[in-house]
Amino acid sequence: MRSCGFEFQAMSSVCEIRLDGDDEAVLASAARRAIAEVRRIETTYSRYRADSIVSRINAAAGTGVPTEVDDETSALLDFAGQLHALSDGLFDITSGVLRRVWDFKCRRLPDPDRLGELLPLMGWQQVEREGYEVHLAQAGMELDFGGFGKEYAADRAMSVLADAGQRHGFVNLGGDIRVLGPRADGSAWRFGIQHPRCDADTIASVEMTEGALASSGDYERYFELDGQRYCHILDPRTGWPVRGWTSVSVTAPACVAAGALSTIAMLKGEHALDFLETQRASFFAVDLALQTFHHEQPDARRFDHGALP
Amino acid sequence: MAATDRRAARADKAGAIIAAALSLPGVMAPLKVFAESAPEHGEVAVKYLQYKDSQPGLERIKVKAPSVYVLAPLSPKWAVEGSLVSDSVSGATPRYHTAISGATPRMNDERVAGDVKVTRYEERSAYSVGLSKSKEHDYDSSAISFDAGFSSDDNNRTWNVGVGYASDKISSTNDITLHERKRTAELMVGVTQAWTANDLLQANLTFNSGRGYYSDPYKTPDVRPDKRTQAILLTRWNHHFPELASTLRTSYRYYRDTFGIRAHTLGADWVQPVGAMVTVTPSLRLYSQSAAKFYFDPVYDPDVGAPYPPGYFTNPPEFISADQRLSAFGAVTLGLKLAVKLTPDWSADLKGERYEQRSKWRVGGEGSPGLDPFSATFLQVGVNRRF
Amino acid sequence: MPITRRHLCAAGALLVSTLFGGCALAPPQAWERGNLAKPEMTMGADPLDQRFVQHIYGSKENASGGYGVGGGGCGCN
Repeated sequence: MRSCGFEFQAMSSVCEIRLDGDDEAVLASAARRAIAEVRRIETTYSRYRADSIVSRINAAAGTGVPTEVDDETSALLDFAGQLHALSDGLFDITSGVLRRVWDFKCRRLPDPDRLGELLPLMGWQQVEREGYEVHLAQAGMELDFGGFGKEYAADRAMSVLADAGQRHGFVNLGGDIRVLGPRADGSAWRFGIQHPRCDADTIASVEMTEGALASSGDYERYFELDGQRYCHILDPRTGWPVRGWTSVSVTAPACVAAGALSTIAMLKGEHALDFLETQRASFFAVDLALQTFHHEQPDARRFDHGALP
Repeated sequence: MAATDRRAARADKAGAIIAAALSLPGVMAPLKVFAESAPEHGEVAVKYLQYKDSQPGLERIKVKAPSVYVLAPLSPKWAVEGSLVSDSVSGATPRYHTAISGATPRMNDERVAGDVKVTRYEERSAYSVGLSKSKEHDYDSSAISFDAGFSSDDNNRTWNVGVGYASDKISSTNDITLHERKRTAELMVGVTQAWTANDLLQANLTFNSGRGYYSDPYKTPDVRPDKRTQAILLTRWNHHFPELASTLRTSYRYYRDTFGIRAHTLGADWVQPVGAMVTVTPSLRLYSQSAAKFYFDPVYDPDVGAPYPPGYFTNPPEFISADQRLSAFGAVTLGLKLAVKLTPDWSADLKGERYEQRSKWRVGGEGSPGLDPFSATFLQVGVNRRF
Repeated sequence: MPITRRHLCAAGALLVSTLFGGCALAPPQAWERGNLAKPEMTMGADPLDQRFVQHIYGSKENASGGYGVGGGGCGCN
C-alpha cells in the first residue's frame, strides 16, 4: 500500500493530490483526471481568457444582449446568489471591479474618486438572470468567480477521484482542502492551519477523514502602510478592506461551503462568530491580537492548538 | 439528556450555506459507500463453534462445528459470498418429553452444509441469487432463493423482497423404509430506514408455506400435519450513542404458524468499544412460545403407560407429538462477545453464551407442565481477515 | 406474579420513548451518514455467528426464520 503525492501548479497556487493505493499507475491515472478537472475549471472561469464564459458575460455587460450559460455556470450563479443573500450582501461576485483600484503589488491606496466611480458598478441585484441567460446591467460590471473557484475545483477534483474508484486521499489546492477518504489504514489525515503572522508556522491543526477545510486570512494578499494592514478581502459596500480577523478557518462537508463561510466570516468582522454558529459551521478564528476562538459542531473534529505534532 | 439537546439544536439540519453548497452538482462524493454497491473489502472468516446441551441427569447433544465464510467482491458491481460448515453431532435426545430412560441411543452424525450467493449491484438496487445445500445421514436439503433490494434516492430507505424454495428429503436410521419429502416456499418483504443519523430501523414480514413430512422419526409418538404455514414479523433497531461510541442493537420477532405455535423473541446487544482495538458485546435474548395444538403433556395412559397419552389407542388423535420443542416454554440467553482488531486487516473474536429454557418462564400463558429444564452452552472462537 | 404480555409491551414502549425522546423521523443528510456505515450498525452482523446461532435456535425452539430468504432445513435433534 503506497501513499503518493502528485504536485502541480494551478489557480496561482501550489496544489497537491494525495492518494493511497497499491498500484501507482492507477493512482497516477486518477490524479491526472482530477488535475485535468481543476484546469478545466480554471480555464472556464478565468477572467484572462477572452473565450471563457466569464469573459464573455463581462464583455456583454451593459449591452442589453444576454449571454447563455450552461448548467454548471447556472448552478454556480445560483450559489453565488444564495451566498449574497445569506451574507446580507457582503459576499458579492460583482465586487471584482475593485481590483482596478487596489494594487497589492505596488502598495498604494486607491484614489477616492476612482473608487467612488466603481461603487455603483457593484451589486448582485444588478445581475439580471432569466433561465439560462445572464446579463450585467451596466457597462463596466464584472463577474468574478475567484471567491469560490478554487474551493469548487477542490470539490470537483475529489468527485473525479471518487468516480475513478479511489477511496483514500485528499485534494489540496493552495490550502483549500477536500478529503476523499481516510488513509489506507483508516486513520485520519492531519492538516495544519497556517499561522497568520508567521509563514513557516502552523497555529492549529485538525484531523479529518472526510469533508473540507478552507481558510481566509489577511495574510494572503496585503500590504502594510503606516502600521495599517490592507488585505485583499474587500467590503463591497465601501470598497475598503475588512479588519478584525487575521484568519478564519472552517471545516464543512464541502470545500465550496468552507471557503464561502470563511470569507463571509472575515467580511462580517465582529459578527463573524455569531454568523458561523448560525450556519452550524466548525471554525478556528484568530483575531488581531492573535487570540484564538474555536467551536466545533457535534460530530466534527476538534481543532488542536499549536504546531503540527 | 445531552443527545436530546443536540438533536433539538440540529432541528434545521445544516446551516443554509452548507446545504446550498451540497446541492451544487458534483460536489458531494458519489455515494458508493452507502448506496447499493459491492463491498469495498473482501473477507475470509474461520470460526469454530461448539455447542452442548443438557437437562438434569442427562447430557444431551454435543456439536462441534468448524466453519468458513468468504466474501469476495468481484468488481464494483458483483460480489460472491459463501460459507461451509461441518457439524459433528453426537449425543442422545429423549424420545418423548424429557424422559431420560427412553432416550435414543447415543448417536454420531455428520452434517455438511454450504451456501453460495451471487449479488449484482446497480445504482439504486441490488439483486441476489442464492443456493444452499445440506447433507447428513438422514436429511438432505436443497434450497434456492432470489432477493432484490431497492434504495430511495437519498439512500435513507431500502425496500427488500425475496423468495425462496426448499426441497428436503428425510429418512431415518431407525427405519430404513422411511423416505419422505418436504417442500417449502417462502416470501419476504421488508423495509430498512435510516431514522436519524444514529438510528437504523428494519421491519421484515415473512410468509412460509410447506407441504410434506414434518414429523420427527426419532420421537414416539409423533405424527404431525403434512402442511404448515408460518408468518413472521421481525423488527430491528440499531441505535448508536456517539458520546459513548457504543451501539444498542435490539430486535423483536413475532412468529405464528398453523401448528398453533405463537412465539416472541426479544434480543438486545450492547456493542461497547474499549480502547482502540477491543470491543465487548454483552447480549440478552428472551424467548417465549406457546405449545403446538397437538402437543400433549406428560400424562400417560394408565393402562398402556408412557409414552402414550390417555385414550391413544381407543380414540387415536389425528396429530400428536411429545416433542419438548413443541411445548410451551420461555428461554433466556445471556452472552458475552469479545472482539479484538489485531491489525487493520486481522481480527479475532470469542463468544460464550448460556441458554436456559423453562416451562414456567413462558410469557402470556401457562408453560407446559412436567418437563425438565433444558440448558445449553454455546462457544465460538473465530478469526477474520479482510483484504 | 407472572410476566404478562402487557408488562412486556409497557416496558418496550418505555424503552422506545426514552431512547427517542419524542423525536420524529429525521433522516440524515448525505454527510451525516458516517455513523450508519459503522460495522456495528449494519443489520446482519457476523455471518458465521448468525448462521450457527439461528440454526441452533431453529432446532431447539419452534420459531425460526424472519431474517431473510434462503437456507434449507435440517434434521437436527
